[in-house]
Amino acid sequence: MDNCSRIKELLVLHAEGALEAADYDEVRAHLAACAACKREAGEIEQIRQWLTDPEVFAPTPDMAWQLLPSAIAARAKTARPVNRWLPANAGSPAWALSMAAVIVIGFGSIWLVNRPAPEPPALSAAEAPGNAAFLGKMQVAYAREATAQYLSECQDLLLTLMRAGKNCDGNNYDVSFEVERARRLIQRKQLLDSELKSPDVARAKALCDELDNFLVHLSTSDRCESPDKMRRMESYIQKEQLLLRINLLQSELS
Amino acid sequence: MVHPPPDEPASVPNEDLMARVQRGDMNAYQELIRLYQKKVFRVISSYQRNPEDAMEVVQDTFLKVYTARNTWERRTSFAAWLYRIAINASIDRYRRSGKDKTAYLEDMVEAQIHKSATSNRPGNALDRLRAGERRSILEEAIRRLPARQREVISLRFFAEMQLVEIAEALHCPLGTVKSNLHKAINALKSLLLGREEVLSHG
Repeated sequence: MDNCSRIKELLVLHAEGALEAADYDEVRAHLAACAACKREAGEIEQIRQWLTDPEVFAPTPDMAWQLLPSAIAARAKTARPVNRWLPANAGSPAWALSMAAVIVIGFGSIWLVNRPAPEPPALSAAEAPGNAAFLGKMQVAYAREATAQYLSECQDLLLTLMRAGKNCDGNNYDVSFEVERARRLIQRKQLLDSELKSPDVARAKALCDELDNFLVHLSTSDRCESPDKMRRMESYIQKEQLLLRINLLQSELS
Repeated sequence: MVHPPPDEPASVPNEDLMARVQRGDMNAYQELIRLYQKKVFRVISSYQRNPEDAMEVVQDTFLKVYTARNTWERRTSFAAWLYRIAINASIDRYRRSGKDKTAYLEDMVEAQIHKSATSNRPGNALDRLRAGERRSILEEAIRRLPARQREVISLRFFAEMQLVEIAEALHCPLGTVKSNLHKAINALKSLLLGREEVLSHG
């Protein structure tokens, strides 16, 4: 590569002020002596000047920015389907009845204990007109999505845990990755607790609490776990039907 | 030089505002919207030609900021996280809306430059265009860049981010950002000034 070719490779970063000192000095010295490269540098600067024009892609003056929060709230309302416990296309009526029975038996008692659903978390004072409705809709949208995300990550962790490899100290299972994820999800659950007070997702609270207990248990594990403890954890996941229950709740929230 | 816009954050760092949003503070959320709405619109407009569509993607972006607020981690730049969301939302909308209108773009660029180059006035053809026409050509040229180059240009000049922040937003090494910036500026130079030379001497 001749010197001009090398300098041309550096001109954009030179204009950005993103060169190392040595390269910067070299470009500067070259530009002082080379008319062709200097012209090229001028063209690059010209393009950059046009790009820094604040009117490029600028919104038109008539755009009603003050209405943006209300428009976001309206999208929050339409972004997700209306709340429903079972999907309409979930299968035959018999399937639906059996699923309902599972839900009633599985959640009924816990759900009754937790009723009535607590009030949504207190929100800051609103300033702009229409904010009360906006805050309410946003809160519902957030509670649903945050709960669905938490459940999805728990489900993923449970599946990963059940597939953990026997590659730790000979006969033991390496769960260091799962333990780390469990700790992060415990922190996430603390943030989620206020959202679970929303009536829209209150039904998910019992399962989320149960998952949290399991994760607390998992988070105290060592990096290597014995086959016996792994069996007990897997047995618990199956006995409590955690994966099935997560699926059912997700079908409601998605 | 990139000038700070009038909406530039004042005293409260954006990361502090976002932490308040995570605790459910809706005033902080609305403050973040106010601070970033126009910059986000400009970034999104490099994907969306129709301002109404761009505005909807802006709404989707800020809705996602709220609904995914607990996935943001304090140690990461809020701006990088925000613009990653904005770019993903733009790409989603772009894919769904039938993307290929390049014939229209090429016609427009050609027509505008040709009109200028044949006007028998001295000097730089693009400079001779009125500011509004030149902006239209530049905007169309940016939309024609390969995706990663367009993202780097948008984030550098419309979101006014530093190269390091852009690397964080795009989840790529700093060297990749520099390389794409180099390619993008040269592509625009070639597209806008190169065409002009051909037309001027043709």
